Amino acid sequence: MALESLHGVERYQHKWNEVQEEAALPEIGNFTNQYQLMMPPLPKAECQVGEYLVDETGRKMKLNYAHGTTTLGFKFKGGAVLAVDSRATSGQYIGSGNVRKIIEISPYLLGTMAGGAADCTYWNRVLAKQCRIYELRNRERISVAAASKLLANMVYQYKGYGLSMGVMVAGWDKKGAGLYYVDSDGNRMPGNVFSVGSGSLYAYGVLDSGYRWDMTDEEAYELGRRAIYHATHRDAYSGGIVRVYHIKEGGWVRISEQDSKDLHYAYAEGKTTTQ
Amino acid sequence: MRKMVFKRILSCRVNVSVVYSPASHREFSHYSLSLSLQLSYTVSRAADMDLQCLIGMKFNDFVLMATDMSQLQRIMVQKSDDDKMYQLSSHLVMAVAGEAGDTTQFAEYIAKNIQLYKMRNGYELSPSAAVHFTRHTLATHLRSREPYTVNLLMGGYDPKTDAAELFYMDFLGASVPVNFYGFGYGGMFTLSITDREYRPDMTEDEAYELMKKCISEVKRRFIVNLPKFRVRLISKDGLKDLPVIVAEGEAA
Amino acid sequence: MQSRMVELETRNQDPQGDHGPQERNYILSLHDVLMKKSILNYNGGCVVAMKGKNCVAIACDLRFGVQAQTISTDFKRVFELGPHLYIGLPGLATDTQTVLQRLQFRIKMYEMREGRRLKPHTLMAMMQNLLYERRFGPYFVEPVIAGLDPNTKEPYICALDLIGCACEPADFVVSGTCSESLYGMCETTWQEDMEPEDLFECISQSLVNAFDRDALSGWGAVVHIIEQDKVTTRTLKCRQD
Repeated sequence: MALESLHGVERYQHKWNEVQEEAALPEIGNFTNQYQLMMPPLPKAECQVGEYLVDETGRKMKLNYAHGTTTLGFKFKGGAVLAVDSRATSGQYIGSGNVRKIIEISPYLLGTMAGGAADCTYWNRVLAKQCRIYELRNRERISVAAASKLLANMVYQYKGYGLSMGVMVAGWDKKGAGLYYVDSDGNRMPGNVFSVGSGSLYAYGVLDSGYRWDMTDEEAYELGRRAIYHATHRDAYSGGIVRVYHIKEGGWVRISEQDSKDLHYAYAEGKTTTQ
Repeated sequence: MRKMVFKRILSCRVNVSVVYSPASHREFSHYSLSLSLQLSYTVSRAADMDLQCLIGMKFNDFVLMATDMSQLQRIMVQKSDDDKMYQLSSHLVMAVAGEAGDTTQFAEYIAKNIQLYKMRNGYELSPSAAVHFTRHTLATHLRSREPYTVNLLMGGYDPKTDAAELFYMDFLGASVPVNFYGFGYGGMFTLSITDREYRPDMTEDEAYELMKKCISEVKRRFIVNLPKFRVRLISKDGLKDLPVIVAEGEAA
Repeated sequence: MQSRMVELETRNQDPQGDHGPQERNYILSLHDVLMKKSILNYNGGCVVAMKGKNCVAIACDLRFGVQAQTISTDFKRVFELGPHLYIGLPGLATDTQTVLQRLQFRIKMYEMREGRRLKPHTLMAMMQNLLYERRFGPYFVEPVIAGLDPNTKEPYICALDLIGCACEPADFVVSGTCSESLYGMCETTWQEDMEPEDLFECISQSLVNAFDRDALSGWGAVVHIIEQDKVTTRTLKCRQD
């Protein structure tokens, strides 16, 4: 780090091809500095890249990212639970049914993915690096509030350039369990219950009607699992495997990963499938 | 003849989910249009009716229907004791959501024709026959220059077969028998609750409680203010008005 | 072979004329068409039919949805029109129902007038007429016909596009929202002269694996195996997401 800065490599310069007064910097791109992304070669007003491209006749074309998802997170007396589906779609085509939409940022922090899959993985990875650096510098773990703020600030730099992500950051810190919602518009908010993605309406229905603060751990897992399962059933763009994570004092624990097909037939028989 | 008017072309993509935005009301006339354009146009108009909420649930020997009591006009609530349910025959109710004007016109056209059938033939159409007639009317108008933009839930009880019946019908004229359904964005919040808790053998009280649960979820999560719902029960004894459900709890 | 009339039409039209670039936002833009966001994909659903040795099979999924929302998982889009005659009508659900009703009317009229059973090939011609009648405002269905000829007992399959261009191949036909995946599956699994049981396995695997890659179809399937002396109908247990 020190050697690089001695040689004039600016680590925290944003937006790679922004016009520089002294443009004598080596082009290292985001290899070492993850914030240094190539900007579209257009004036900002015209480059709603994430929103539209223009086809040969000048018509706007909507870029089709993997938007279909159901993710949810809630806090309760025993910590926080995150539950997600695992389907990735591009248009109506199911690209994968086995995506990991919960990203393990650190042993005490988790992030969820909804929106552009690439956007979410990239910025969650950058966040993971930043959190580790924070830990090394400060000799203590980063708080969930700080981690989510880092993420929100990072993506806010690119507002208007078409990032598409709705992320929940959940973790355990000195204050106990933390749950934040961060999105590419620049929203960042703490909360007790969140659901993000195309199936979130369905997930909220189950979640809201079954949510209590004083649930037992088992009840909480089952609520999250059930909410995701019902969303996968109704929403065409959600499906695959229902993953449930629990965040508690000792860090996160992976509770279950079940195929929604098995869940469907188990629920149809009236069984509740707690493991 | 109604003048063909295109409005809100900008929100016409079939896949766009439109949260109500009065600014996107743009009107300009248009001379010719192919059917596919027209259909897609009709699809886009559906955005307006998605703010209204119709809920129907079918159980072993009765059907429970609830419709919101807000008459929405652009950005305001014009009337808060609206009745979106129309009685078609002694054991049949049609809940209608759609463009202003289309709803009453269509519902009354159907209702009067079903009454006419009874007068001519001396017996009533069964619920499934009435649904068939309604679907046919809707589908025929879809390919005319004046399609009706109405979503329907038709709930009835057939005294001959002793069966409760509930039909989903959208503005395109697709008609499907269902156990329960909720139209509109508000309805989407209720679907997973009914998926979770529905049993065909529920009693009237249990069904009413389930309906209350659904409506409080609409109040909690839906951006539009739909505080009151009119509730009707259709069983072998005909129609019965149940107490209006005023949503409890706070918005999320 | 199959013309995509709707899509061509929308491509050629410019309903907004001289409005600025911001307003030249098409209802079904070229991109929507390429991404298959046409009205044909509004409700979802698919049908496949296959020839075997002295038998044919036709199968469909059971989803009725409105775009992303699944509304019913018991919506059959394959219908029996005679003892050995079936038709699948994937596409816009309202037109599935309208076309079926109009077709049943025409078939009844035909059979009364002629005093004999309808042959699958005649059904194809009847379907062509019915669809081409709406050449300039089509029904948004792409039918698939499967059956045995009542006289010769020859297996017959055929697919039509939405304005009535027929295609009568010797192996299999596919139609609906996941037709690409279905082509892939059928090309690899289909063999000549399959016995009814093998044909069932082949068509079921093709259908289920194809619609498991499609968000808009699935939620159960129905398979009909049509033989000279019997028709076997099976409902498959499928993923429900």
